[in-house]
Amino acid sequence: MSDEIVLRVKDLCKRYGDKAVLRGVSFEVERGEVKVIMGPSGTGKTTLLKCIDMLVKPDSGKIWLEDLELTDPRTDVSEARRKIGFVFQEFNLFHHLTAIKNVMIGLTKVKKLPKDEARAIAERSLLKVHIDRELWDRYPAQLSGGQKQRVAIARALAMEPTIMLYDEPTSALDPQLTREVLEVIKELAEDEMTSLIVTHEVNFASEVADEIMIMMDGRIVERGDPRSIIYDPRREETRRFFNKIVKIGDELR
Amino acid sequence: MNLMTFSKYLPYIFEGSLWSLGLVLGGLGIGFAIGVTFSLIQVYGNPLLKRLISLYVWFFRGTPLIVQLFLFHWSIFPALGIKSTALTTSITVLGLRSGAYQSQIFRGAIGSIEETQMLAARALGMSNWDAISSIILPQALRIAIPQISNEYSIILKDSAICFILGVMELMTRAKYAAIATGIALIPYLIAGLIYLVLTYIGTMFFNLIYLKMRIPDSMEG
Repeated sequence: MSDEIVLRVKDLCKRYGDKAVLRGVSFEVERGEVKVIMGPSGTGKTTLLKCIDMLVKPDSGKIWLEDLELTDPRTDVSEARRKIGFVFQEFNLFHHLTAIKNVMIGLTKVKKLPKDEARAIAERSLLKVHIDRELWDRYPAQLSGGQKQRVAIARALAMEPTIMLYDEPTSALDPQLTREVLEVIKELAEDEMTSLIVTHEVNFASEVADEIMIMMDGRIVERGDPRSIIYDPRREETRRFFNKIVKIGDELR
Repeated sequence: MNLMTFSKYLPYIFEGSLWSLGLVLGGLGIGFAIGVTFSLIQVYGNPLLKRLISLYVWFFRGTPLIVQLFLFHWSIFPALGIKSTALTTSITVLGLRSGAYQSQIFRGAIGSIEETQMLAARALGMSNWDAISSIILPQALRIAIPQISNEYSIILKDSAICFILGVMELMTRAKYAAIATGIALIPYLIAGLIYLVLTYIGTMFFNLIYLKMRIPDSMEG
C-alpha cells in the first residue's frame, strides 16, 4: 500500500426531503487500500457509495478521485464513472446480454475498444472471477445468484477502475453463494485492488479490511483496524451493533 | 353477369392486397419511427415536449381515422402546399395515427424495465444516449413485439377505410368489382378472406421474430 490518496470524501451531506441521510461524511482511501463500511440498515451507506459514483447528487461536500473533483459541476461525470467500478446489491446485469457481452459492453460502448480486444479483456476478467468458459454465453436468467454477482464484478473490473465500490454485494445471496462471491472480492483485494466495501459480513470484513468505518445516522462514528473495531470498540453503540449482527449470524447457523 | 365474368376480377382484387400491404407496412414503419422517438421523449424528455406529445396522442387516438384522412387530404396538406396523392396521404395518416398508438406501446415497455438497468449503465460510464440505445431500447423493443403484432392487425383493417380516398387497395377493388359485376356479396367475402390470411401471415411473422429475439430464461432456452 502506498500513501497515495485515490479517493477523498469531504463533508458530504445529502438529504431526502426532511431526512438527512448523510451528515458530513469525510474519509480518504489510499491506493491498494481496502476500506469496509459497516453499520445498521438505513444509515446512509448505499447513498454514500452512490454519491461517490455521482449516481446520486450530493447536496454539499466534495469528492475527489485522484486529482479530479467529481463534485465540480464542470467535471464530466460519465467520463469519471469509467474509473469507478460499482457492484450493486442486486447485481443489475443487463438482462438481454450474455455474461460475456455484459462484460464487453462497457469496453465497446464506453471505451470504444474494437470487439476482439474487448472480448479478450472480458475473457480475462471473467476467468479472474472464476466464471468458466461454459458460462460465458449464458444469459443472466440462466445463472445462479453467485455467478451473476461475479459476472457483475467482472463487468466492473474489465473497465480497469481506479477503485471498486461494493454495495452489500452478498445481501441478496444465500450463505453458500455468499462465500464464492466474498472469496473473489478477497482475491481482488489481495491483488491490491483499491476497494470500498459496504457489508454486514463480520468475518469477511475482519479478514479483508485495512480499516473498518462504522456508520450510524449519516455519520462515521468510529473507525480503526478490524480487530479493535470488532472486538474492542470504543463506543457502546458500535458494540451493540456487532452483538446484534453476530447474534443473528449465530441463529442462522 | 355470371360468376365466370366475375372470375376475371379475381386477379384485380388480389392485386389490391399488395396495395393494402403497402399501406400497412408504410404506416407501421412510419408509426414505429414516430412511436420510438416520441416514447423516448415522453419518458426522458423535457416537460414542454412531453405536453406537446400528449396533445398529439390525444388527437390521433381521439378522432376517427376517416376524419383524419379527410382533414389531411383536403385541408392540411393543401394549406401547407403539399401535393399528396390518395396513396401518400393514406400512408402518412396511417403512420401518424399508428405513431400515437405505438408511442404508448413503447412508453409502457420502457416503463416496465427496472430503473436499475439504467443505473448500472450509467455506473459503467455510459452517456444517457448510450444507455438508452444499447440497454433500454433493445429490452423495450423485445417486450413490445406482441403489441406491435397486434398493432399490425389493427392497421391492416384500418387501411380498408382508405377506400374513401380512392386508394386502389382491397376494399376499393372489391367495391368496384361488385359494382361492375352486380354481384354484391362475393367480392366482399373474398376481400374479408384475404384480410384474414394477411392477418395470419403477419401474426406468424411477428411470432417468429418474438421467438427469435426472446431472452432465454432457463437452461433449455
